[in-house]
Amino acid sequence: MSSQHGEGHVSAKDRLARMKSLEEILNTAMAFEKTAQTFYEQLAGRVRKPLRELVAELAAEEKRHYELFEAARDHPETEAHIRERIAVPVNDHRFSDYVHMPALGDHPDDQAILQYAMGREHAAHEHYADLAESAPEGPLKELFKFLSDEELRHKGDLEKRYYEIVHSGGV
Amino acid sequence: MDVTPKYKGSFVKPLKALSHLFREPVTLPMVPRPASDNYRGFHVNDWELCVGCGTCRQICDNAAIRMIHIPGLPDDPAAGLKPRRPAIDYGRCCWCALCVDICPTGSLALSREYVHVSPDMNTYFILPDEKGIHGLNFPKGWAKTDDADLLDLARQPMPQRDPDSRGDNFDEIVHGYDDQAAILEASRCIQCGMCHEACPANMHAPEYIRAIWEGDKERAVREIYRTNPFPEVCGRVCTHRCETACSIGKRGAPIAIRWLKRHAMAALDDERVRTIALEGKVEDRTGKSVAVIGSGPAGLTAAFDLAKLGHAVTVFEAKPEPGGMMRYGIPEYRLPYDRLDADIAVIRAAGVDIRCDSPVGPDLPMDKLRDDFDAVMLATGLGAGRSTRVPGTDHPDVKSAVALLDAITRGESIDVPGRAVVIGGGNVAFDIARSLARLQRKTSGRVDMTLVALEERDHMLADEEEVVEAREEGVVVLNGRGPRQVVLAGPSDKTLGGLETVRCLSIFDEEGRFHPKYDDGDVMLHEADMVIEAIGQASDTGYLGEDLTEALEWARGRIEVGADGATSVSGLWAAGDMVEGPDVIHAVAAGHRVAESIHRFLGGGTTTLEAAE
Repeated sequence: MSSQHGEGHVSAKDRLARMKSLEEILNTAMAFEKTAQTFYEQLAGRVRKPLRELVAELAAEEKRHYELFEAARDHPETEAHIRERIAVPVNDHRFSDYVHMPALGDHPDDQAILQYAMGREHAAHEHYADLAESAPEGPLKELFKFLSDEELRHKGDLEKRYYEIVHSGGV
Repeated sequence: MDVTPKYKGSFVKPLKALSHLFREPVTLPMVPRPASDNYRGFHVNDWELCVGCGTCRQICDNAAIRMIHIPGLPDDPAAGLKPRRPAIDYGRCCWCALCVDICPTGSLALSREYVHVSPDMNTYFILPDEKGIHGLNFPKGWAKTDDADLLDLARQPMPQRDPDSRGDNFDEIVHGYDDQAAILEASRCIQCGMCHEACPANMHAPEYIRAIWEGDKERAVREIYRTNPFPEVCGRVCTHRCETACSIGKRGAPIAIRWLKRHAMAALDDERVRTIALEGKVEDRTGKSVAVIGSGPAGLTAAFDLAKLGHAVTVFEAKPEPGGMMRYGIPEYRLPYDRLDADIAVIRAAGVDIRCDSPVGPDLPMDKLRDDFDAVMLATGLGAGRSTRVPGTDHPDVKSAVALLDAITRGESIDVPGRAVVIGGGNVAFDIARSLARLQRKTSGRVDMTLVALEERDHMLADEEEVVEAREEGVVVLNGRGPRQVVLAGPSDKTLGGLETVRCLSIFDEEGRFHPKYDDGDVMLHEADMVIEAIGQASDTGYLGEDLTEALEWARGRIEVGADGATSVSGLWAAGDMVEGPDVIHAVAAGHRVAESIHRFLGGGTTTLEAAE
């Protein structure tokens, strides 16, 4: 017997509520990157100099992502799809949680900063991977796949650095 | 010219000549006859096997072999690879094949090809080719066989105490070579010098091995002290990069260079060692003063060199005894304190003033040191332990390996846990696991110690002997497990219950980046009263103060230094673990570089101790 609520336990109403336009998604993503960039820039002013380079690199990476999304939003091919509605993944709340950037404390060390940044990249990667899953075949799917891979690549870079610093007798 | 009738020949001679026209020629074609199986023809060399050690050149009495640099070949001294290959001068070669019989890798052989005719002399001087001199792929003739091999590939065993007699005490495990074993071991060395280039301090290992073989231990100690003021330490706990690069190790067991150093040092009494070590010391004082912060291998090596060059050197050490992590990080069963003290006594005898219990900080600020001394060196190491920060690691019974090892060295009372789990797969993890296992056996007569490492058995970061000996002493080593959380004994019980680990499927991704993947279906609980974290170490540079921290340049969290250890702030150097990561011999090498740089800075020119000898 099929469920009266449709697929799983998600009602049609809920499904509709989870539909967002590409424009909204890209704006959220840009806000995500912008907030992170600002967060890291402010953090750079609070940490000691040995950590400042790391935090500045993180800020620069977020800025690069922001510009990437901005370019994607303004690309003619994206503009053609900008009003399309796409199912937003169930874990969207986790992505949004990071947009608000929970406090790292007043004096985070390199390990805490890297753990935080890796968690953030992981959430972003999963978010875009889910969006790629639900997007229709075509340029939108390709775009989300690209964004997902981009976040995963950055997470990989951070993990390598984490290993060097924390597990290999760094400082 | 008239021809006499005698030579004119018969009138039928032209007919005779015509008859030869149809005969088979009597000259043979230039195709050599097949040579016998063991024929010693031209050389062939497998370039994949050859490491460019040049042993073939050294053994050739006819000087028929030269080593030629080949651009593009692997150049990795640490792995024992040189980008050069032998070229043979066949105007000199006598085909004795000693080069083949001595070749440590077995790459060199002789083919069965033996004919080479050319008016061009240059073609007789050639790089051996795997296909032979003419590229004709002649089969091998003389090649290395077990009975023709001039090398002894087996190492002299190091006598040491068995697990039962060492499991409840901190007495040194190894006994050391006796004279006969040392000479036999030294006789295996082919003097190729790969060890010298692999050693961060470029120790003169071939020279001291040869001296040991000749029975001249004073000369051996003299050679050792040319580049290393910590021979007692490095004769025991060096990471022996030299042995990794050893040519003999390509097919057999590398020369036990570390143990030979230990043997040479043990042969002389401390007073004699001191006299040899201080040879070449400049008696005239320069009037310049240097402060060294930290008394680990980098700081004390620089201090020793500078003192020998006539500078007044003061070392400031925060702890009660000098030595840094050599004393407070390495257990005594690997490095007895009296042997570390012997090395440090030599350094003190050179005139170095070591002030212990003298932490740089509020009572002894950096500014004052920089004002009072002409140069300052930072060598404060990696004294703080890292935490995995998995849930529960803030429990009071989760300890840092570095802090526990420090407490054991100080002789502080430790609540020895009945059951303990160590997280980590490096030497520090094994140091604390084996130390606590000894204390467990001593206090309760039984060992309950588990070590969990992310790495699989074949990729452990710790030395192989550490893993083997730990297991012999009752430590359970579990590979491929990552910590998930520290758990409590019960819902309302705040005491530690143990560590939960999860199976680690892989640590690195396809591109070699740290990206552990876990199997969440394979979870284990290791019941324990104490969990010890030994995953890595960190530097505490808070003593620098805000102004100096801001003035210095930093790179990836570390103080940025040039090749000579100079920081971006004039008159200030940094070296050792805090700059390069943990390793004694790297720290010694860095100490030398800093001393040379400070000496130049103080107006001492380019004179170095090595050059002065």
